[in-house]
Amino acid sequence: MPLGLLALVAVGVHAAADTLDDRLVALVDRADAAFDGLVGRYDVTAPMVEWVSLELRTRIARILALTWELAADLVLALPALGYREATTAAVKPAEAWRAALEGPKEKPSWRALWRRCLRQPTPMRWLRPLATAAVVVAGACTVAKLMQGTVYLSWRELMGDQISDWVARGMALGALVGVLATLGWRAVLRNLQHADAACAQARGGRQAFTRGLLGCAVVVPLALAAVLDATPLLSFLR
Amino acid sequence: MFASRARGLLDFCMAVLCVWTAYHHTPAGALVRKASAWAFSSKSTARPLLAYYDGMTGTSLAAPMLAPEVSLVRPLTDAESLAWGTHLALKGLDARAREPSAALAQELGIPMDRLLDSVEGPVAARRLHAALEEDFPREEARLTALFVGRVPARYAQERVVAEGGEPTLESLNRQLPPGFETASVGAAQALALSTAFGLAWPVSESARVSSPFGERHHPVLGTRRMHTGVDLSVPTGTAVSAVAEGVVRRASEDAVNGRVLVLDHGRGVTTAYCHNSELLVRVGERVTRGQLIARSGNTGRSTGPHLHYQLELASRPMDPLKFRASVRAVSHDNAP
Repeated sequence: MPLGLLALVAVGVHAAADTLDDRLVALVDRADAAFDGLVGRYDVTAPMVEWVSLELRTRIARILALTWELAADLVLALPALGYREATTAAVKPAEAWRAALEGPKEKPSWRALWRRCLRQPTPMRWLRPLATAAVVVAGACTVAKLMQGTVYLSWRELMGDQISDWVARGMALGALVGVLATLGWRAVLRNLQHADAACAQARGGRQAFTRGLLGCAVVVPLALAAVLDATPLLSFLR
Repeated sequence: MFASRARGLLDFCMAVLCVWTAYHHTPAGALVRKASAWAFSSKSTARPLLAYYDGMTGTSLAAPMLAPEVSLVRPLTDAESLAWGTHLALKGLDARAREPSAALAQELGIPMDRLLDSVEGPVAARRLHAALEEDFPREEARLTALFVGRVPARYAQERVVAEGGEPTLESLNRQLPPGFETASVGAAQALALSTAFGLAWPVSESARVSSPFGERHHPVLGTRRMHTGVDLSVPTGTAVSAVAEGVVRRASEDAVNGRVLVLDHGRGVTTAYCHNSELLVRVGERVTRGQLIARSGNTGRSTGPHLHYQLELASRPMDPLKFRASVRAVSHDNAP
């Protein structure tokens, strides 16, 4: 199950990151233009203008996309695995692995978590679960799409066009609903619990507010990309 | 009891499905595949990590982007450009990736050898396109059908329509399950090459090429360097036009390229115009074919007025003259 959660998050994050690489190329282009303008002012640094070719700029953009994706995987998938940083004071070093695997002893319910989100809102409490939800839906769509394509193209010769089409559509829809119903909500709940626990540990409201902001900055653009470009939910019903 | 077991089985099945998808379709999965291949001293089947963001250009794959071996004797029509691009891309693919095209060629009684022949290949490729035109009127869907097969292409097209998107090559390729990656890259290369064949010229056709594409002795630096474009000898203030419609990706100035414009024409084709005296468009602006975009000049690292025109396919510089029909006298005086 934890491996399934990890895989679902990884698939969703990749579906989102895959839509961002063109925008990253444009960003790298602008940064390179600014760099060239700066180093081109002086004779000594002028040769540096030729450092970054178009091919290299494209490569840099893809490396950025890869790094971004792996960072988002870490931020969203580790809590889904039940991992939680243990403080050295609370846990004996020899048992740190057990705490890491088991996570917190008492897991608050959806209702308790929701109440705390409303009463003590922090970016981490709101953004991480929402980002996880967006990524998980994108991941489920990707799994369903692959299921449909694989089933249709491999069963067509055996079962005929019409039947394999209906079977593929049915299985894709089944996979979409099944993944969301079995793994999707768990990934969101795990992230919500993790965010809640991390914010509860903070000393004071200000620290709780700033906790996990970097992680939020990493995952929110990807979550937006997932919602806008990588979740064709209705396409499975057409 | 039964319900709990059934739920457990469903959980397990869905988890396996997600792991299978992640293992084959994400860079994180590729890392795991590479690591396990390294651990067991076996050969990894994972694509290079950056190929997972390939979109449609195929730059991360090793397939060579080929330029035509024979000179073009006249300007090509759109259909001929597509046929030339298809022929050249097919030459760059391995036999396995060519299977769908070979099957289609066999259907039409065209031997594969003829399809790969430098002289007869484009004509044979045009016949393949003509056979697919009725079912796939759009160029990009037709190329998909030619490279991955009719059935997968029709499936991909229907999926894109269901998603409410435009059937571009990239969106079509995204719908295909594993096993079509190499053929999809072939289709992308064919599209890039055919777009390059259809490009106009940025200045007058009669402008002299003062320095061709390729290795040369640099007139300013005094060392042997790769010249990644062609230098067109034109007086300062000459109108520079967009060679095709596209989006301005870069409009900047530096000490080497002078005032430089980079246009992205989509389909993996980019053109650059360097050493201008004036830039007339801004970053992000959409330009049309033939639109005045700059005035040539002598800015940056340059020893005389000229336009450095550069063509890049899948981010790799190509000789623009290889895609031109008219044969010009090229001087080799190494002028910048």
